[in-house]
Amino acid sequence: MQSQSSQFNQKIQLVTVSLDGIIKETDHHIFNWEIGSSIYDIHPFFEILKSILQDPDIKEFSFPCIHFENNGFENICDVSIKIDLGEIVIVFFEYTKKYKELNETAQQRNESILIAKELELRNKYLIEKEAFKNDFIANINHEIRTPLTSIMGFIEVLEKTKLSFDQEELTRIIKRDSQHLHALIDDMVDISKIESGTLNIVEERFIFKDLVEGLKEAYSIIAEEKNIHFETHVDPNIQEYIIGDRMRVYQILNNLLTNAFKFTEEGKISLSITKNYQRTNKLSINFRIEDTGMGILEEHLDHIFDRFSRFIGNKQISGTGLGLAIVKNLVDKLNGEIKVISQPEKGTTFNVKLPFKFEISKPAPERKKKKYSLPDTKKKFRILLVEDEETTQYLVMKILISHGSFYVDLAINGEEAIKCIERRNYDLVLMDLKMSNIDGYQATQMIRNNYGDEVISGVPIIGFTSHTQESERDKCLRSGMDDFISKPFKREDLIYRIIKQIAKKAAN
Amino acid sequence: MKLSKKVVLLGHFGVGKTSLFRRFIDNAFSEEYKVTLGVQIKKKVVQLPDGRELSMIIWDTEGHSNSVEDTRKSYLLGSDAFIYVFDLTREDTYKYLNQDLEYLKNTYNKVITKTIGNKLDLVSERVITKQLKELDIPFDCLTSAKTNKNVQKFFLDLAEEIAK
Repeated sequence: MQSQSSQFNQKIQLVTVSLDGIIKETDHHIFNWEIGSSIYDIHPFFEILKSILQDPDIKEFSFPCIHFENNGFENICDVSIKIDLGEIVIVFFEYTKKYKELNETAQQRNESILIAKELELRNKYLIEKEAFKNDFIANINHEIRTPLTSIMGFIEVLEKTKLSFDQEELTRIIKRDSQHLHALIDDMVDISKIESGTLNIVEERFIFKDLVEGLKEAYSIIAEEKNIHFETHVDPNIQEYIIGDRMRVYQILNNLLTNAFKFTEEGKISLSITKNYQRTNKLSINFRIEDTGMGILEEHLDHIFDRFSRFIGNKQISGTGLGLAIVKNLVDKLNGEIKVISQPEKGTTFNVKLPFKFEISKPAPERKKKKYSLPDTKKKFRILLVEDEETTQYLVMKILISHGSFYVDLAINGEEAIKCIERRNYDLVLMDLKMSNIDGYQATQMIRNNYGDEVISGVPIIGFTSHTQESERDKCLRSGMDDFISKPFKREDLIYRIIKQIAKKAAN
Repeated sequence: MKLSKKVVLLGHFGVGKTSLFRRFIDNAFSEEYKVTLGVQIKKKVVQLPDGRELSMIIWDTEGHSNSVEDTRKSYLLGSDAFIYVFDLTREDTYKYLNQDLEYLKNTYNKVITKTIGNKLDLVSERVITKQLKELDIPFDCLTSAKTNKNVQKFFLDLAEEIAK
């Protein structure tokens, strides 16, 4: 046999071993093994010979790509073993160079697959983390809104009582801070929706002037309190009715004005609205919010739309640093653009361009919020409040009883609500959604489906929830509820909705 | 006569067979991934509880991409135990574990077969255990070659079992 082959620079070594493992004959082309030594002591690979010898059917066997250590170097060989005439013939084909080349290719291939897998895993982890964060925010939102409902509701009740000057002042502070907390929760939910891509933009027709009037009214009070001049200017060429996401536009302007008032101690704040252009039914409007406040340093301007960015040392000015991030995201979502110019100690100007649509044909007049009244002013109406949370029970009872037109019964879960409904006729049910055993949806479905008596199955039901998502509202209506009110609610809103449902039922 | 048993590490590439091999034999670990081509063989003598010594001849084989059937048959000759290693962070390394185990059982019915989920340091033990149970993936041990969690115990328990 040739000991040296040109193919792959291959070396070959031939070793003859006795059946008890002693090397009888060998050359030294690859390994420098001594005749007379035991092959079993040389490398653990040769233990395989014992298995081969035990099996009379095996006469020849090949092992590709075996790694051997040889005086500090590694030799990679294909090994062929043959049992012949009472001895073992082992042939080593040395392919170290070839295998090392193959190794590099395999290394690159496997590494790229592993890196791709790692990225996939990391991405999956980030998605799960994001989902967890959003769930967490949704849940914490629910948990905070429930006590906040009580606080804000009781403040309204408290305001209607006879208070001393000090008490009035304290009530005002509690109210202000509760409103701030409420706004903060809304911001958190919004940023979470924006990040998870679940914030939906709606198109609705609305009276543009009303939107501006709402802002003007709210901020004129603050301007008066702070002794700041506040003015608004609206381009008369802007259509009366326009189509866009009224709520989100309001939120953008509201956040920018809040910011302006927060950072302006004297001088002037103005909101100026002009039409950029209109083509067919499309319209572009520019909103300019200008203040004479503390301004922003140039190096901070690039980061003012980042989340949690606050560039002021004054801790008296509250905020999370989410407001402008929300504004930027909303403007992007509405396909608009926002620019800011500012000079420290002189003031800041935000320019927001937003696209809208308008109806080319003359629009129908907007329906005003319809007024409802109770069908019988001499009668008291019986309401079943289904609520497991003690302070909300107390708050709602206090509001309804003090109104003077209602009796209120209480059930603390869906099961108890069903029992009450079966015992007595109600004019309306206020149904909390999240309860143990039977929840609000299930209880509503049972009321709607399980009774032939129209007085029971047709009772108006208003859902009560701390969730604010539109999906929650749909779920309420789908389960058979007539209306939905989210916590925290205003006393007037609660009363309005109750009267509306009772009046509608009576009219039917 | 010295007691000697052959143990073969099997499984997909990159699951940590060589890391387990090095951790058990030399008590060493490297973060760097190095592909194994062919097979590396090392011996470790372990002391059994009954006082005997066992030479564990461990064959660290090249990882496969699809099925254990792709592993060279000659490497499996004369085996006393197979350790099928999978990566707890890569579902594709255990998705077809049951099929692979079925193949090993049918082809090498006398060989003890154990399954190890490796890289425990990268996952939550509680979550992955639940997930593996849901997917009906059998496993004898969850290990981390990096932190040495359960590695020595697994091999010593196996040594005791194959020495019987």
